[in-house]
Amino acid sequence: MKKIRNITRRDVFLAVLPVLSILMAIGLWLLVSSGEDHIIPTPGEVYERAVRLFEKPINHVSLWGHIWASVKRVLIGLFFACVTGIPFGLLIGWNKTCRSVLKPLFDLIRPIPALAWIPLMTLWFGIGETSKIALIYMGTLRPVLVNTYAGVSMTPQINIDVARVFGASQFQVVKDIVMPSTLSAILAGIKTALGTGWIVVLAAEMISANTGLGFMIIRGSNVADLALVIFAMLIIGIVGALLSAVLTFLERKLCPWKTVIN
Amino acid sequence: MENSNKLEIREVSKLFLTQDSYKEAIENVSLDVKENEFLVLLGPGECGKTVLLNIIAGLMEADSGEIYIDGRKTGGINPQIGMIFQELGILPWLTVRDNVSMPAKFKGQPKKERYEHGQKYIDLVGLHGFEKYYPNQLSGGMKQRVGIARAYASGCDILLMDEPFGKLDAQTRYSMQEEILKIWEQNKKTVIFVTNNIEEAVYLGDRIVLFTASPMSVRHVYDLTDLPRPRNYTDEKFLQIRSEINQHMDLVVK
Repeated sequence: MKKIRNITRRDVFLAVLPVLSILMAIGLWLLVSSGEDHIIPTPGEVYERAVRLFEKPINHVSLWGHIWASVKRVLIGLFFACVTGIPFGLLIGWNKTCRSVLKPLFDLIRPIPALAWIPLMTLWFGIGETSKIALIYMGTLRPVLVNTYAGVSMTPQINIDVARVFGASQFQVVKDIVMPSTLSAILAGIKTALGTGWIVVLAAEMISANTGLGFMIIRGSNVADLALVIFAMLIIGIVGALLSAVLTFLERKLCPWKTVIN
Repeated sequence: MENSNKLEIREVSKLFLTQDSYKEAIENVSLDVKENEFLVLLGPGECGKTVLLNIIAGLMEADSGEIYIDGRKTGGINPQIGMIFQELGILPWLTVRDNVSMPAKFKGQPKKERYEHGQKYIDLVGLHGFEKYYPNQLSGGMKQRVGIARAYASGCDILLMDEPFGKLDAQTRYSMQEEILKIWEQNKKTVIFVTNNIEEAVYLGDRIVLFTASPMSVRHVYDLTDLPRPRNYTDEKFLQIRSEINQHMDLVVK
């Protein structure tokens, strides 16, 4: 039942708009950067700086190395957040006793921003990888857990009733009803967590690191290399958007019923 | 055992806790449901018909009273009972085929067997060719057909229907009423059909139980077994019964 549609002028217009808006942003950048006071490097300067980066890597690590260093930290932190946050969220969502015991504690810790954990994490884990990943874990756990919990409690009662009438055991209700109806909420939580993780990793790297995109920004700032700072910022934006796109793709694969519409 | 009682409801009452007191939702309801009859429970909106159905299904507990199936007292979920819900309860992440074979899955039947078994009922409700569709690709009437197929495939002998066509548009509603009778005539089961629509009740029921509004109790039972099917909405006898019930039905202002 595929719908066949003619491509209208409006479709073309809408497709061209994103390109136009990016071109406009670059135009604005050109305009601002070409002023006398030189408050920001020109696009040309940033491009040249990027080319030089490939010839002479920072700290003997290529651009890809720095990107991977940051991404790897986020993914490891996020992995641990998922492994603990999803079961924990299911537990406090489904089991009332667990909710009464654990939710108040969690509610208390929840409002504390991940970055507030920096002193403790440094004290406990030093300034190496472990403390950065622990910090990211603190930042990513919250959205994963909250969304899982919310997803469980929003499981429509009717779906649970249907399963019970047709003979589902308690375990089958959780496995075949609660889990699938929570899946998209969990994925949305992971998506939010990825965004948070990406912010936290940069902050952590700006404090102490010798690899990563956050480190690149601080290096640029320390030697007054604004072109490097701008380039690193652009990369941060692009990589962040790509990660989010990957998750959207994953969501489509995992929840096919959400997207097939005739 | 034709004409024997399949289901007996004995003096069932149910209280509900309101903000500051108890309110009686169901007051002392007793009913006999004959084997393979199409019984309609008719009452004004929100009078507690759904509660009664949920008690029969074992989803809720009555405060007093008993329910017997085939003469045996029942409590809790009973595999002899299947249900079709107004809210559909079609699981959006499952295809038509998987929705229909869900009850078999809970019983641990292997995939191949339950698909084969389910296919019979998918064909019965006229959804052949839609097995691999997801619910959001189906119309409201088609979704309700999935619900009917699922209840039939569960192998129940008592089918509870909770205002199954309440949310359909008028046209679809008429055609689904016809359809459900056709399916029931091909595959006789004991049906308890809840509605607040008099016309629907008269079109479908072998007998109609009219309830009063809160607390819900039996006002009158109409026997329509003499009214031949397919019934005609404009038939004189049809209209006569319809207006008679209409005069006795409580009006509830919401």
